[in-house]
Amino acid sequence: MSDSRRRSRANQEESGGSTNGVGGQNRPERSGDMGDEDDIGGGPSGISQEDDDPTRRREIRSKYRDLINEVQQNREDMLNPANNKLTDVLEEANKLFANVRQAREAALDAQLLVLATDLGKEKASQLHAEGSSFDPSAFAEHLLSFMDLNRLEDESGMDGNLEGYLPEGAWLKLAKRAENCFRTAPAFHYMLGSFLAEPPPPRQRVERQRRVPSREEKRIMPTQLKKMEESHQEATEKEVERILGCLQRYFADDSEEPISYYEFVIDPNSFSRTVENIFHMSFLIRDGLARMYLENGLPYIAPVEEGEMQPSGAAVRHQCVISISQESWREIIDAFDIKQALIPPP
Amino acid sequence: MSQRKKAGPASQNKTQRRSQLLLEEDEDATFSQITSSQAQRARENFTSDQIDHKVAEVVQFILIKDQKKIPIRRADIGKHVIKDYKHIYAEVMKRVCRTFEQVFGLKLVEIDLKQHIYILINKLEPIRGQTVSMHPGNQKMGLLFAILSVIFMKGGTVKENLVWNTLKKLRVDPGEKHDEFGDVKKVVTEEFVRQKYLEYGKIPHTEPVEYEFRWGLRAEKEVSKLKLLEFVGELFDQDPQSWTQQFREASASETSSQST
Repeated sequence: MSDSRRRSRANQEESGGSTNGVGGQNRPERSGDMGDEDDIGGGPSGISQEDDDPTRRREIRSKYRDLINEVQQNREDMLNPANNKLTDVLEEANKLFANVRQAREAALDAQLLVLATDLGKEKASQLHAEGSSFDPSAFAEHLLSFMDLNRLEDESGMDGNLEGYLPEGAWLKLAKRAENCFRTAPAFHYMLGSFLAEPPPPRQRVERQRRVPSREEKRIMPTQLKKMEESHQEATEKEVERILGCLQRYFADDSEEPISYYEFVIDPNSFSRTVENIFHMSFLIRDGLARMYLENGLPYIAPVEEGEMQPSGAAVRHQCVISISQESWREIIDAFDIKQALIPPP
Repeated sequence: MSQRKKAGPASQNKTQRRSQLLLEEDEDATFSQITSSQAQRARENFTSDQIDHKVAEVVQFILIKDQKKIPIRRADIGKHVIKDYKHIYAEVMKRVCRTFEQVFGLKLVEIDLKQHIYILINKLEPIRGQTVSMHPGNQKMGLLFAILSVIFMKGGTVKENLVWNTLKKLRVDPGEKHDEFGDVKKVVTEEFVRQKYLEYGKIPHTEPVEYEFRWGLRAEKEVSKLKLLEFVGELFDQDPQSWTQQFREASASETSSQST
């Protein structure tokens, strides 16, 4: 006896926070005072320790849940007018309720009662005290006979396997006879049909023909564009590399003679090419692959040696903006007597 | 009254449909706010010819809307046809009903007084052996009949499993595609429900959720329970009166429908 009391005390301490009984808050305080005797009229809420026993309560709750499950799972069975199972469940619940003290168990009892009354209502509605009963299966069989079901010669199976097949107009026959019970308004339709049968088909055909070629065209378009775009993006890089190659070749041939910037970039035959060359040169200089220096007031360029390259050589870098106009372009051609472009066109 | 242009029903999703419904409810509410004196004054604004023309338009609208057997909402009639003639709505509808009865032999019935939806039913009783229409949608009548009979004979409400099991015995499996009916589950739970032949509702407190079937508002007005019981009696080779409870209910509904 004392063991169970101690156990229940321990359970109370554990479950003090989770249960929502009325005396829950008082529990931690009282657990210190408890002796082995029953404490009737203990805490301020007036609930005795006996009523608060969580094991008992858990038992009750679990029994209620069992009953509820039983009712839900065996619904068909309970509805059977031949037995009194529903009444038995209610009597069980009655007995359990005698031990219920707190709201949580009472809620479960209420839930069970709701289920039971629903079932009771259904069961009552099944009572057809007078008149003959109606069996839907027999009804189905009669309907099948009405629809001239072709039963196979050897009727080995009874209800389980559906033998035989319904003839073609079976449901139509049933519909015709059933119609008789309906006061359906006949559906409105034009007696001679619609005039508009002709125009739509040709339109569809024309549209389809038109659509097909445009789809193909569209398909071609994206691939072409993609190719161009790719080449465009790489064009600048390719150009820059090509020019670097030219510069290095010239320098390799004659490492002593400096290359004049103007002589290098200018194309006497095309102004636009010249501008492009200047543009690409600027990339080389920016990336530190070539350098430009002034000598005698004229700019010269030289490729940067491998070892000379300083990745963080920001100290020596200057920025400037180079511009050129057609006039100055021609002047430079005359001044330097540039006959041919050092950078061959692509 | 401003004419708001809205997207067609096919492109509306649920939220749009809900907001449109709310808007239409507002429009619909104005119907009930029209007083009789307002109506009287309004009637004087229109010539008799104009009113007749409007009546003809409403008749045509309802006839075409009824083709799919989906109930017609008063709000739709107001929005698409009546528009400015709203104040004499009552007068127009009175003439519309008269036209239907006298010219077409049809009855315009309001099946839901709260939501104001109408259906057209045949005023004349069907004669044995005579087909009402050659409409291909007729095939489903047989299926519908089977379901309605089961529901009626079982007291007015059945669980969906009973319906599915009965259909399976009739070689109609809701899980498979049927040769004539296609997606059977969809036809039964969506099409028939939308047409208000059936009601498909949740049974409360079931886990997992189960559904039950009832007769829809259209079925209540359109189907003769007595004739249905007669047919069931023929099938069983039993006197319909042997099902006393159903017989009583059928006779009661027959007399009530005859009185309207």
